Amino acid sequence: MAKFLEYQGKEWLRKAGMPVPKGKVASSPEEAKEVAEWIGGPVAVKGQVQAGGRGKAGIVKLVNTPEEAAAAAAEILSKTVKGLPVRQVLIEEKLDIKKEYYCSFVINNAREARSPMLMFSTEGGMDIESVPEELIFKLNIDPIFGFKTYDAIDFCVKAGIPDDELSKFASFLTKLAKIYKEYDCQTLEINPFVMTGNGDLVCADCKMEIDNSAVGRHPEFGIKIARDLPGEPTELDLIGWSIEETDARGTGFLMNMGYDEVSPGYIGYHPIGGGSAMMGLDALNQVGLKPANYADTSGNPVGSKIYRVAKCVLSQPNIDGYLLGGFMMANQEQWHHANALVKVLWEELPKKPGLPCVLLLCGNKEDESLEILRKGLADLMTPDGPGKRIEIYGKEYVTDTKFIGERLAALAKEYRAEKEAHGK
Amino acid sequence: MLEIKERSIIIRIDTSKCEACETKACAAACKKFARGYLQIVDGKPSVEHLTPEEVLRLGTECLACEIACKFEGNKALEIEVPIKGLDEYLAKRGLA
Repeated sequence: MAKFLEYQGKEWLRKAGMPVPKGKVASSPEEAKEVAEWIGGPVAVKGQVQAGGRGKAGIVKLVNTPEEAAAAAAEILSKTVKGLPVRQVLIEEKLDIKKEYYCSFVINNAREARSPMLMFSTEGGMDIESVPEELIFKLNIDPIFGFKTYDAIDFCVKAGIPDDELSKFASFLTKLAKIYKEYDCQTLEINPFVMTGNGDLVCADCKMEIDNSAVGRHPEFGIKIARDLPGEPTELDLIGWSIEETDARGTGFLMNMGYDEVSPGYIGYHPIGGGSAMMGLDALNQVGLKPANYADTSGNPVGSKIYRVAKCVLSQPNIDGYLLGGFMMANQEQWHHANALVKVLWEELPKKPGLPCVLLLCGNKEDESLEILRKGLADLMTPDGPGKRIEIYGKEYVTDTKFIGERLAALAKEYRAEKEAHGK
Repeated sequence: MLEIKERSIIIRIDTSKCEACETKACAAACKKFARGYLQIVDGKPSVEHLTPEEVLRLGTECLACEIACKFEGNKALEIEVPIKGLDEYLAKRGLA
């Protein structure tokens, strides 16, 4: 999912007409001080990272003066939370909180629902997991008719909202439901939204996640990559996203796995399908090899997508091998993989002569696919050719992770020795 | 030179090599692996019977015609498959 930081989500809520605290994001203590002066009065300084439990991590602080805001920002910006460095802080007016509430809109994947679901509790401001089940109210929302005012009033009555505040809460929740739909959110959680001393409802926090598949409909969000990543996207991640961004013809997924591009023992990894990918990782783990990247060309992708993924996988510097891991009897016609692989290996192996390439391709059109590989790669696979370490396997080895891993390890060992002998 | 633009690739065929080709493997591959829009006219591959829009609609970017031509035909056909950002990625690493 494309996840917004709190300040970004709140900005989109504000643009949609929802009440959010006055505030701005800052990247330095000096900026934090300026924002606090602009707000005037006590402020909250909140570290902006994609991680929960920010209060417990000490990156949310309440202060009274701009100088204190600068000091709090300096402290928070020096921290790392769950491996993520804090690079920005949100400076917001301190709210006069009378009561905190919880609400979220999520996708309910249960068979009887398969719809958006509203979760609400009068116990906001804490982890929803720690709120007793009987205090959490849930409602599946009809995806066609939406969440109407009468639904909201009925729901709020059941949740124990007093009669004189029903209209206010119903209006707040129906607006959020509309935003959830219009922004194509996967998750929209406001924890807490608060009632101020004046009786106003305000979104005090915001967790907004956009459906990856809908990002193309929202250029206004400026999301450069719709992927779940632990931090900033790498160049390989961005290239991988460009393969998928506007091409829905099957999956052509590619992402970095933290490879430093110099360490030995890393394999350009090209699995076909998620479960198959797990088996391929078993194959690598069993022999002490590691994946340089993650990939997936399943769902019957077109040849050009398979080519792009394979080309990028093989373009990674200093890999010790390439594994096409088709550890399943695929329904997709595998000959598109075969054609794409022949094209890629003819282009890439002359640049990386002798690179071990273990190709496991099983399933629909397997015989024809293996024939395309054998015939197309024969001139590379000569004893002194750049493809001398290509090995091609089919259904006899479809679940044999041990054998495939051991073949790759043996070939990689030879390859490294050969490179070292040549002083590379 | 025949240039065919599919959705995200460009197929270039040096048709001067095609008359001498005995297999016409490209058209056979197009029929087997895709929708068979590549036809042989006067001994050469052609898409003249289609509009550019029809080529876009029918093209499946299977790459099979290039492989067929390379190994069974006259090595007359190449497909350009651009990858956004890859050249810069390689250049930064001295691999361009």
